[in-house]
Amino acid sequence: MKKMLSVPVILFLLFVSGSLIKNTYAQDTQSGKTAMNEMLLAYYYPQTDAKSEISMRIVNRQGQVRERRLTMLRLNETPGGGQFYYIYFHEPADVKGMSFLVLKHLGRDDDRWLYLPAIDLVKRIATSNRRTSFAGSDFTYEDVSGRALDEDEHVLTGDENLGAYSCLVVKSTPKRPGEIEFSYMKFWIDKTTHLSLKVEHYDLKGKLYKVYETQEIQTIQGTPTITKAVMKDLENERYTEITMKNVSYGAGITSDIFQERLLRRPPRQWIGE
Amino acid sequence: MLGKVYSLIPRGLKPRLLRRGWLWPLGHSALKEYLALAWVGSILIVFILAISGSEVLFAEPATPDVLKIGSISQDEKKQADSWTHIFDSVHGFIEAVYGPKFSGDKLTQKNDYNLLEQRLQLKVAYRPQKPAWLASWNPEFFYKGDLLSDKYKETLRYQIREANGLVSPLSWMDVKLGRQILTWGTGDYLFINDVFPKDYESFFIGRDDEYLKAPSDAGKFSIYNHLVSMDVVVIPFFTSDVSINGDRLSFYDNFLGRIAGKESNRIFTEPAVQFENTEIATRLYRNFGEYETAIYAFKGFFNQPVGIKNESTKEVFYPKLAVFGASIRGPAPSVGGIVSSEVGYSDSLQDRSGKNRLIENSAMKYLLGYERDFQKDLRAGIQYFLEQMLNFDEFKANSQSGDISRDEFRQLLTFRITKSFWLQTLEASLFTFYSPTDSDACIRPRLAWQANDRWRFIVGANIFFGKHDWTQFGQLEGNDNFYIRIRYGF
Repeated sequence: MKKMLSVPVILFLLFVSGSLIKNTYAQDTQSGKTAMNEMLLAYYYPQTDAKSEISMRIVNRQGQVRERRLTMLRLNETPGGGQFYYIYFHEPADVKGMSFLVLKHLGRDDDRWLYLPAIDLVKRIATSNRRTSFAGSDFTYEDVSGRALDEDEHVLTGDENLGAYSCLVVKSTPKRPGEIEFSYMKFWIDKTTHLSLKVEHYDLKGKLYKVYETQEIQTIQGTPTITKAVMKDLENERYTEITMKNVSYGAGITSDIFQERLLRRPPRQWIGE
Repeated sequence: MLGKVYSLIPRGLKPRLLRRGWLWPLGHSALKEYLALAWVGSILIVFILAISGSEVLFAEPATPDVLKIGSISQDEKKQADSWTHIFDSVHGFIEAVYGPKFSGDKLTQKNDYNLLEQRLQLKVAYRPQKPAWLASWNPEFFYKGDLLSDKYKETLRYQIREANGLVSPLSWMDVKLGRQILTWGTGDYLFINDVFPKDYESFFIGRDDEYLKAPSDAGKFSIYNHLVSMDVVVIPFFTSDVSINGDRLSFYDNFLGRIAGKESNRIFTEPAVQFENTEIATRLYRNFGEYETAIYAFKGFFNQPVGIKNESTKEVFYPKLAVFGASIRGPAPSVGGIVSSEVGYSDSLQDRSGKNRLIENSAMKYLLGYERDFQKDLRAGIQYFLEQMLNFDEFKANSQSGDISRDEFRQLLTFRITKSFWLQTLEASLFTFYSPTDSDACIRPRLAWQANDRWRFIVGANIFFGKHDWTQFGQLEGNDNFYIRIRYGF
C-alpha cells in the first residue's frame, strides 16, 4: 500500500517540480536580464580601457576572401554606460588611414565620425540604424559595440552545456519589434566567464538566419577575453571570422584624446604603423 | 614680380602646372613617345606589384626572424628591418579611366572623350625614431605622388599631391608643413568657409572625388584645448581653383558672350608671390555636447578669377577676399539623422561698395543640410544653399549691356542618395544639384563595385541641364559625359 501510494506521489512531485522549474524559467525575466547584463559587462566593458588589433576574414558563398585589419581603442565612461571607441584601419590599402570615432550613448543615437585622409575630411555619420554591416563584414555596428540592455526583453529559458562549458540560455526579444530585422536572439552565456559562446538570430518569420560562435577565449591580464569568433550568415552562405590580437587592458587611454585630433593624427603609441 | 611675368602666359602653358609637378608634353606625332612612356609606366607598375606581392614576405613576424637570423650582426639586422619598414609602408593604386563624351558641342580640344588616362599613385609615410629631440615630437612625414599618363593633354605628368611633415612640438600643438590637402566646413560638395583650392575640372569630368580637392603649399598650426581648439593655416603661395577654361569643358566666356571652348583666350593673373599676399585661414571650434560648432575667418584671394583686369586684353585676376563664418552640426532632435548649418560673409575687399562692375560683389552665403540613414544600407541627404549678392542695387546700376544678368538671390538644392548592396561591396549613388533660381541642374549617378580587396570598378556620369548659357551648370550643358574606371589598390 505504501509502495502503491509512493509512486503516484513521486510522479506528482516530479511533475509539479518540473512545471515549477519550467515556470520559473519562463517567467524569469529578472534573471534573464541579470544574465544579459553580466554578459554585456564581460564582453563590451571589461576593465576601464582596452586596445586590440582586430583582423576580419569575410568569406562569401564562392569562397572569395576579403580581409580587414584594424586597431580598436575603447574607454568606458561608466561600467555599462557610455563608451568611447576609436577604430583605425590598416588594411586593405584603399581604406588604410581611415579612422572612426564613436561616442556610444545609452538612450540616444551614437555620435560617429569618419575621417577620410585623402581629402582631409571629418565626416559626421548618421547613426539611426546600428544594424548596418560593420566595415563590410557580417558583424553589425551593434555586434561590435553592443546593444543596450533595455532594448530587449530578456528571458532565461534554461541551462545547457556547450562542450565543456555550462551555459545559461537567454532569449532576447526586441521591445519595439517593427524597427529591427530579427524577431529574437538566443544567447548561450558561459556561467563562469559570463561571455556569450553562441548567439542565434531568428528572422521575422522565426527562421534561424545568423549564428555567432566564440571559438577561442584567453585570459588576458586576469580578464577572460574572446580572441576568436565567427559570424555565419546562413541565408547568404557566408561568414566572417574575427581575431583579436595584442589585447591589452589599462593601456592608459583617457577621455581627452577622443576628439577630432585623434582622427587627423592617429595615436601611434597604440596603433603602431 | 614673378606674378607679372606669369600673367602674360596663356592658361594652357601656365607654370602653375610646372610648380605642381613636372610635365612632359608628348607633342602631336607622339605615338612612339607615348608607347615608350607607357612602357616605362608599366615597368614601374610591375615593380610596384612585385613589391606589394612580396609584402607578406617582408612582413613576417619578428620573432621567428630573430631565431633564423641569429648569426647576422645587429647592424645588418637593423638595416633589413628598415628596408622591410619602407617597403611595407608603400601603398597606392594604379587605375585606368575612359570617359567618353555624349554628343556635345564639340568646342573642346578633343570631342570624343574627356578622359583617357592611366594613373599610378604612390604614398609612403615615414616616422623617424632618431634624433631623440625630433622623436619626442612624434614626427610623421608623408608623401603622395601621382604619375599620370594623360592622353587628352598628351602629357605624362608627375604631380605631388602631398609632401609634408607633421610634428607635435608641445603635447597640445600640431604643426603640419608642406604640401597638403585642407578641408573644413559642413557642406557636401558645397563650400562656404572651406576656402582651399578645388579642382572643378576633375570633378566634372569623372575623376575620383579625391581630385576635387587640390593641394595647398601651406603651414597648418593646430592648438588643442578642451575649451576651444584652433587651426591657423598660412598659405604663402596662392593656389587657385583649377577652373574650367575651355580646354576640356566648354563654358560661358563673358568676353565672347557665348559658350566657348578651346578658342577662349582669357589671360589669368595670379597674385604675385609676396609676403603681403600670404593667405591666412583660421578656424576656432569646440563641441557643445553632441553639437560641433566652429567659427572661421579668412583673408586672401578668391580662388576663381572673378575680377576683370582689362576687358580689351581679356585679362582676369583673383581679387582680394575675406570670409567670416560659422557652422554647427549635430543630431537632429527626435527625427534622427544629422543636421548641419553653415553661414559665411564673403567680403570682396577690392569692391566693397559693389560699384565696380569688373569685380565680384560681396555676398552672404547660407547652407542648411540634413542627412540620415535608413535600413539596409540606404542613406539620403538634402542641402539648401542660398547666396545673396550684397550691394545688388549698385550691381544693377553699374551693369552694362553684355554683362551677365544675375539675381540678387541664388538658391541651390542638392540631393544625395546612396545605397549599398552585397555587404557594401556594390554602391549605387546619385547626387543632384538643382538651382530653382538659375533653372539649371547637374546629375551625377555612380556605381562602384569592390570586386575584392584590390580591384574596384566604377562607372558614372555627369549630366548637365540649363535654361541659360551663363549659369553654373547651364554653361556645361554641352559636356555631358560618362566614365569607366578600373582601379587596383595595393
